[in-house]
Parts: sequence; C-alpha cells; structure tokens
Amino acid sequence: MFNYDINSLKDQLSIIIMDNISADAFQWLKTHEINYQAGIFKGAFVQMPRKVGKTKITCSEDLSKQLKATRPGFTIDGWTTDRLCRVYLLISAAKNIPKDEYIHLIDDLISAAEMNEQVALYSALPVLPYPASWVSRCTEGIRSNIGSVLEAIMYQNPYPAEQLSEGAWNQMVLKAFFTDKQINEIQGLDERANKELARILADYAKERYAAGRSVDSMLWYLIGKFVDTPLLQAMKQGVFNKNVDF
Amino acid sequence: MCCSHNEEERVIPTEKTSEFFDIDAIKGMKFFDPHVHMTSRTTDDYQAMADAGIVALIEPSFWLGQPRTGSDSFKDYYSSLIGWERFRSSQFGIKHYCTIGLNSREANNEPLAEQVMEMLPLFIYKEGVVGIGEIGFDDQTAAEEKYYRLQLELAKEAGLPVQIHTPHRDKKRGTQRSMDIAIEHGLDPSMVIVDHNNEETVQEVLERGFWAAFTIYPFTKMGNERMVEVVKKYGAERIMVNSAADWGISDPLAVPKTAALMKLRGINNHDIELVTYTNAISAFGQSGQIDEQDFNAVVDQSLRFEGNSILRGGQQPRMDKSSIIIS
Repeated sequence: MFNYDINSLKDQLSIIIMDNISADAFQWLKTHEINYQAGIFKGAFVQMPRKVGKTKITCSEDLSKQLKATRPGFTIDGWTTDRLCRVYLLISAAKNIPKDEYIHLIDDLISAAEMNEQVALYSALPVLPYPASWVSRCTEGIRSNIGSVLEAIMYQNPYPAEQLSEGAWNQMVLKAFFTDKQINEIQGLDERANKELARILADYAKERYAAGRSVDSMLWYLIGKFVDTPLLQAMKQGVFNKNVDF
Repeated sequence: MCCSHNEEERVIPTEKTSEFFDIDAIKGMKFFDPHVHMTSRTTDDYQAMADAGIVALIEPSFWLGQPRTGSDSFKDYYSSLIGWERFRSSQFGIKHYCTIGLNSREANNEPLAEQVMEMLPLFIYKEGVVGIGEIGFDDQTAAEEKYYRLQLELAKEAGLPVQIHTPHRDKKRGTQRSMDIAIEHGLDPSMVIVDHNNEETVQEVLERGFWAAFTIYPFTKMGNERMVEVVKKYGAERIMVNSAADWGISDPLAVPKTAALMKLRGINNHDIELVTYTNAISAFGQSGQIDEQDFNAVVDQSLRFEGNSILRGGQQPRMDKSSIIIS
C-alpha cells in the first residue's frame, strides 16, 4: 500500500506536530485520525487552519534527517502547521478505508480544494498510499497556473520524478522554466534527463532568444548530456541570437 | 449641515474642479471593498484598485448574468472564487475574500437549488470564506424565501456573518422583510450586513442594529454625493460602502473615490476610515477569517535579489500603458 514505512513516518510526524501546535489542537487531530467518517473527515481537512493555525513549522535537524531516511526525498522544510496536519490526516485515513474509497476521497477533496488545500494535497503525493494512482492528478496539477500549487508539485517533491511518464515529466520541467521557477528545487533532474526534453528545451531557448528574452542557465545543464552535432553547431555559431554569447 | 455645505462651495471654486478624481487626496489611505465581483473585471482594474489603496476585498458569489443549468457550474464557480480569483488578486497585492451562497434569482430553480444547498457545507468552511452571501430577495417569491431561510440557518450553524442582497424592485418592503426573517431565525443583527441601502432604507436598518452597506454604482444604485449626505446625517457607525462592480457599467474605484469626495466635503478622516475600511473588517471579521496582517504584503517590484528582480508573492510585473511599445 505504502512504498515506505508508514508507521515510522507517522511517529516522526506526530512528534513534529506535537511540538508545533497546541495540546487541544493535537488532541482534535488525533480524534480525526482514529475515527473515520467521510463527511467528518472532509470537514476536518477543510477546517484545518482554524484548528491548528498556519504558523511555520520548526523541526530539529535530527528529525528532518529521520524523515528523509524513512521516505527518501521527503521534506517538510518551510511548511506551515495546516499543511503538515492536512498531509498527516490524509495518510492516516488510508488504514480506515479500502483503496477505491480512498481514491474517491482524494479526488473529491481535490475537486473542491482552495489554494492552500491544493498545496497540501500535492505535497502529500510522495507519502500517499497507492503511489501509481495519483499520476493523472499530478499531471492535472501541473496544468495549474497558480504559483504556490505548481511549487508544491515541483519543489522538493520526489513524486514527479518517481512516477510521471516521460511526456508528463518533460511538460513539468518545461513549465518550470516557462513560469520562472527555481529549477534546482526540482528533484530527479539528473535521473530523468532525456533527449526529448533536451530538444524541447533547446527549442524553447531558441524561441526566447528570437523574442529578445533570456533563459535560466540551468537549461543548458539539462541539455548538456544530449548535445549532438547540429545543436552544438547552433550553440557555437550563436544562431539562436546574434547578440547572445554562448 | 446646510451651512457647512455652503462653506465648501466657497472653498471649491467650480464644480468642475471637485469632479476631478485627484488620487492625491487619499494618498496613504487604505481601503477595503466588501462587495466587488472581480471575476468579471480585468487586470487593469486590479492594478488601478491597488494603486488607489485598496488592500483587500470581498467577492460575494452571485449569478453570472444568465442562469446556470447544472450544479457543477455552481461548484466550479465557488471553486474559482477560493482558487483562481484569489490567486489572480494576490498578484496585484490585494487580499481576496469571498462569501458563498445561493443567490436569490437562481433560488427560483428549485431542483437546482436543492443540489446547491447540498453542496454549500463543502465550501462555507473554507479558508477566507467570510460569510454566507449574497442571499435574500429578488422577485420576493416563495422559493426565494425558502432558500433564504435555509441559508440563514446554515449561517447560524457555521457562526458566519450574512451578506444580504436587498431587491432592486419594491426595495423598502423587501429590506424590511429580509430583516424580519433574519430576526425570526434568531440571528443577531450584528452578524448581518444589509446591502444596497439607500436613503429610504438606512434609518430602519441602523435602528434595528444591522450593518448598513451602500453600493456606489452609477445610474441604478447610490451616487457618492448622496452617500456623503447619508454619512453626514447618520454618522459612520455600522455604515460601509462598496462598489459591487461587476459586468455592468460600474466603478471598481467607487470606494476610494467616495473616500476622496467625503474628504473634500469635510468629513473627518476617522469617519472616512470607518466607512471605507474598518467597519467592513469588523463586520465580516466576525467569521474569524480576516487578519489585517495578511494585507501588509507590501510589493516592491524594484527589489533585486542576487541579480534577479523579485516579484514577491508571484506579483505581476508592471507594464507602461502609456507607451506604444509592447514588449
């Protein structure tokens, strides 16, 4: 069901949550973890900021390392309490309901999610059960134009590199360049680099230069491995734009 | 009042001068527009609103100019208010809140209204939803009354303020009826904002302890000169102004313009602030969803970090509208 040790992760997250929210709020969260009823669960997910607040999480380096050891690539750095508690609630529900119902629940939550709920849902992708089930949802999320939602998928999230098809992965990386995202925050760039992506990015660079605009230099890093003779010639001659030095 | 009016006419030499909207008159002031339908406005409007000092707004859910034919259209509309539109607004440094409800016109399609009522609990508890609205009467039919009552109960249960749309036709009667029913359902008038008031309705609304909102909207609702007189007569307590700007000929700068006019006509800054900022926050802030700290996302587009210009919070870059060059 989970591709990592769920019990360890839950224990670690519990400690972090307990340190970051009030005792009453923690108690409230625990109640919803144990008793599952669809309507009440959805209500708890929606009301999270009212119950646990929206302050930035503080977390010891040791715990942060433990999280990464339990679920490689997973981090909660920079998260707020509502985001973390929402993710915690989502992974807790898995033991209470069968797979079909769980998938239906996530779909339902996404379809009516406001911005911060969307951020939490996409942040949860790497720790949700049934990892292969969320590929189309993740691909859909990449179509969003809301900055924070894109960042939840793109930044420090191991899920896209692990699960997306080559086409969807390439779209995500291209979109990251297109929307001025910090490319180095994307996990798995080296592992998922591919020739088709290199071609897409080279075309993108040409188009940008033709318009007199620049590109993020990380683009050349991703193209590097796949430079062939025509592309190298083009780069050497600077045919992309006479004013640009390569 | 009459005398001070004469006084002003001496200070301001010609009507022409007073008609020009001098944005400097309200420089440094901040405004809250508690009723504006941004979904139907352009990015130019957002930019102008931010420039005029609007730091936050409320977008009430309403009808879309033509009737919806299925419940999914409602769902997508509510989702857009808490999602895309909220994000769009943030790009201009304006904090976006909304009220969620079944509007009176579409309450008349009962089979659809039933489905919408089922959906509402999914949305009213969302972050940034500051009330149930805009609800109330349009034609004043039995169906409108039924769904108005049901939504008052929902508001009570959720502890949310109610934003009441009062009808354009048979307004005075409709306003009284809206208040009577709210009281009958045990709502505290301090949790109810009665919108689209005029000189005929304001006194009773205030006397009964409700909030009185005024929509400054050309030709059909209040003009802001009349608004100035209302504030002079009734004071600033529990009164607020909004633009209700939508897809009709309307003005998203109605709130700052009214503030400027009030200033020109001698209303003190404290009262102007109450009517154009504070009262709306006090009323809708009862939802627990408004934090003034969130307004202070000051945007300085000239800031640079490691050589890259930063548009904080996903801010949109500025374009020079006066230039013939579009780059």
